[in-house]
Amino acid sequence: MNYQGDRTTGFASPAGDNIEGTIDLMSVALDLRQPSRYPVRVEGDALLGRSIRHGDILVVDSAVAPRAGVVVVASVGDELRVCELTQRAGEWWLRSSTPQTASVQVDDETDVAIWAVATGLVRTDV
Amino acid sequence: MRVFGLIDGNSFYCSCQRAFEPHLKRRPVVVLSNNDGCAIARTREAKALSIKMGDAWHLARKRPESRPVVWYSSNYALYADMSRRMYQVLAERVPGVEPYSIDEMFLDLSNLPGDLYERCRQLRQDVLDHAKIPTCVGWGPTKTIAKLANGLAKEHAELEGLCDLTDPAIRLDWYRRTSIDEVWGIGRQTTQKLKGMGIETVADFVALDAKTVRQTLTVVGARVQAELRGQSCLPLSDIAATRKSIASTRTFGRLLLKWDEIREAIAHYANRAAEKLREDGLEAAHLSVLMQTNPHNGDPWYAKHAAVTIEPTSDARDLIRHATELGNAIWLPGYRYFKAGVILSDLRPSGSQGLMFASRDPVQSATVMAALDAVNARFGSGTLRPGSTGLKRTWSPRQSLLSARYTTRLEEIVRARSW
Repeated sequence: MNYQGDRTTGFASPAGDNIEGTIDLMSVALDLRQPSRYPVRVEGDALLGRSIRHGDILVVDSAVAPRAGVVVVASVGDELRVCELTQRAGEWWLRSSTPQTASVQVDDETDVAIWAVATGLVRTDV
Repeated sequence: MRVFGLIDGNSFYCSCQRAFEPHLKRRPVVVLSNNDGCAIARTREAKALSIKMGDAWHLARKRPESRPVVWYSSNYALYADMSRRMYQVLAERVPGVEPYSIDEMFLDLSNLPGDLYERCRQLRQDVLDHAKIPTCVGWGPTKTIAKLANGLAKEHAELEGLCDLTDPAIRLDWYRRTSIDEVWGIGRQTTQKLKGMGIETVADFVALDAKTVRQTLTVVGARVQAELRGQSCLPLSDIAATRKSIASTRTFGRLLLKWDEIREAIAHYANRAAEKLREDGLEAAHLSVLMQTNPHNGDPWYAKHAAVTIEPTSDARDLIRHATELGNAIWLPGYRYFKAGVILSDLRPSGSQGLMFASRDPVQSATVMAALDAVNARFGSGTLRPGSTGLKRTWSPRQSLLSARYTTRLEEIVRARSW
């Protein structure tokens, strides 16, 4: 199927110079062929406040520069966590969704590192 | 100026595992060969425990110093996808990339603007950030020099993963300190021959009269010497041109006696080879089958190989039929078989030769195979397959320590707890 609203047979299409193609959601956030994109399955409902549910598939990008307020996947010791990133006095911190829990600093010494930044979310179980 | 680079993943298979498993960060990790036979990739920590390349798993695991080691079966689905990521990062940044093996790639770094050292440092960082693979990069005026530089970068921690051998004076300095057997293309026999002539270092070899080298080591040795002298003889190749043959051979998970079991395995290998054939849009006109006993366990040695010319096809059913017939002809009772395989050769683009008296309707065959491939592409390799390839497959290789296929199977992706 090659018809894009341009190559009409009778009357010339007035839109011929304005063909833009359909929106490609893949390239926006989901394309896992990008070498820095990885899929991650979320476990637990701690981030319901960010509308992230148990069972969701996060698409994360390891080459995106971190910003305050984004959701990241981080390695904390031996485990991977999904959480919010904040910045304080030039340092990065992982903020827990439960107010009582103290934030942890992103640092080699504490063995905390940002693994990738979330760029999209897929929910197959709606 | 002509400059080649070589980038390679440090303990590549282990690094692929580490990319998804933070608990492996500082632990010794070893990846085992097919069938969990022997060590084929080791992290620095595992090497420090004197686990050697090729060490048998069943022996190495029992040594007390091996206790902290985390062992893995080889997960080629994962490694291939990580290699693909590494290639893609590089291909977006330099004008030419040649994937030489799953974990090493030659780079064309000629005539690039700016500081080459800084560029290579950045490449290394980008591969780490995007593909999560730590690497080393070496570069110089020829591929052989780039490969040597890469080896030096790996061996000498003080180089921080980067080694520049473009400068002839620096090069000579390293040549004097590097043994001749570290050179790409100089094998064990050649090393012995050279050592017999009093040649120990790369510098000794480079200083040899070119004519002498040609006489003792033929044109191959002469080419290695010219490359080490900075004269480029080997260009960057494209991604492997059309395959010459497709092999599907494996060691069984246990020794097999019965023809019925071996027949199943051979049918499975033929089916796999046929899949690879169709992936590349090829047909095979030559098929061979091999089977053998274990050369190391004291069993009587038996190894047989048989080949046949066939009507060009990529139809799994034809290839399975030929392979089983051939296998049946070389199978002898009484032996415990260790390994078998199917090799397809004389490959050609499918449909290139209209056979006037084809024994199978080519259109019908293509339709059936396309349907088979479509189902397997959608629901996973091996979902739909000829019945002759077996159901239980008790002979299939052991992969008792296989990790998830994090990037190629949705049901196996990384899990992370929200916090």
